[in-house]
Amino acid sequence: MKNPLRFHLHDGSVADMKISGKIALAISGALIGVISVVLVVFGNPANMGFCIACFLRDTAGAMHLHTAPIVEYVRPEIIGIVLGSFLISVLRKDFNPHAGSSPVLRFIIGFIVMIGALVFLGCPLRMVLRLGGGDLNAFVGLLGFITGIAVGCAFLANGFSLGRSYKAARLEGAAFPAMTILLFVVFMAAPSLFLFSESGPGSMHAPVALSLLAGLIVGLISERTRLCMAGGIRDIILIRDFTLISGFAAIFVFTLIGNLLAGNFHLGFADQPVSHSAHLWNYLGMVAVGLGSVMLGGCPLRQLILAGEGSGDSAVAVLGMIAGAAFAHNFSLASSANAGPGLNGKIATVAGILVLLAIAAIVTYNNRRKDG
Amino acid sequence: MESEDQKVITFHSHYGALLFKRRYGQGCLLRPVPRSLSSSCGTAAFITGSLPIELLDENTEAAYERKGDEWVRIYG
Repeated sequence: MKNPLRFHLHDGSVADMKISGKIALAISGALIGVISVVLVVFGNPANMGFCIACFLRDTAGAMHLHTAPIVEYVRPEIIGIVLGSFLISVLRKDFNPHAGSSPVLRFIIGFIVMIGALVFLGCPLRMVLRLGGGDLNAFVGLLGFITGIAVGCAFLANGFSLGRSYKAARLEGAAFPAMTILLFVVFMAAPSLFLFSESGPGSMHAPVALSLLAGLIVGLISERTRLCMAGGIRDIILIRDFTLISGFAAIFVFTLIGNLLAGNFHLGFADQPVSHSAHLWNYLGMVAVGLGSVMLGGCPLRQLILAGEGSGDSAVAVLGMIAGAAFAHNFSLASSANAGPGLNGKIATVAGILVLLAIAAIVTYNNRRKDG
Repeated sequence: MESEDQKVITFHSHYGALLFKRRYGQGCLLRPVPRSLSSSCGTAAFITGSLPIELLDENTEAAYERKGDEWVRIYG
């Protein structure tokens, strides 16, 4: 017999679960905000304690996948995030090797998400960190991000899904975390194999041990709390649930407090670190990121976490992002700080959004037809 | 006894959850999947009463029933 959810009124158990989830997320967000500020104090570029897009891009450059001299450095934060997620998921029996949900489409979507992020100059996490530093260009990006997520939600509500994944071999699930371990070992043992920026954002970094530790902590807590920059806004739009957004909000609040205390808060549009004020392109870049993130089932940070948990699909999305980063710099698609995007970047942003819309529309149509 | 009636149904996609709610009607609440059940950030349906087997399909991943402080898998 259908019961109109009396237990929500009398039992309170679901409400308790939501509150504890929100508190855990808020604490995680607060920690990430503080860690981000600390990383900047110890050498990372301003408002870039963490940026998944920028750090994947820097790592791609260090591995000779592109040759932009100012953005080349193997970022230990990325390695730490994947390993943190991997270790805690194995420890808490969350490690779940699975794959097979439209891997090629995920690669393409990851690629486009990276192009959008590098036109805006930051992933959703850096967008929040930039907001906490007073960068109002990031507010324009936030509007674009929300727009992209809203469009993605419209597709989700009408049947969009990249399809279910299937259980995979443990080796398949462990391959991506193993690759990151190998990268770190080679980076430590033979650094001369890699490129290192001598100027620009790539030359600015916290000590390796601190960056790795920060990544491990962020990977661990993000895995436990399912922190996702896109998921919070998606859940508000789709099911009116405010659980996931609490992490997003806490990162902003604690970064803001940290920046105020460290004297790194500068409110305005002009002269913000590693940013530009081409508003239309900040907006459209983050439309691509928001829409792509909803289609992938999570923001770039979440993709790293899921890859650490054994998702082959998310690992492919991350590989798409790395390829996107390489293309963004080899074909002048990424924006320049202060100057904004060039013609190639503008064309790629619009084309990327159109490709995402086409994929979403075709998949939604096919799913609806299948469901009758 | 009331808490014994609680069920959580998880799905392979958000659309699966939305479709279930549409078919179930009143008395179904969509929320993020409880962390204790999964590390995914998908959408789950919370209901009370008996499990509507006729509404479970290829979109359904699993269904759980509350037993004390635990969720026990009863489907999938």
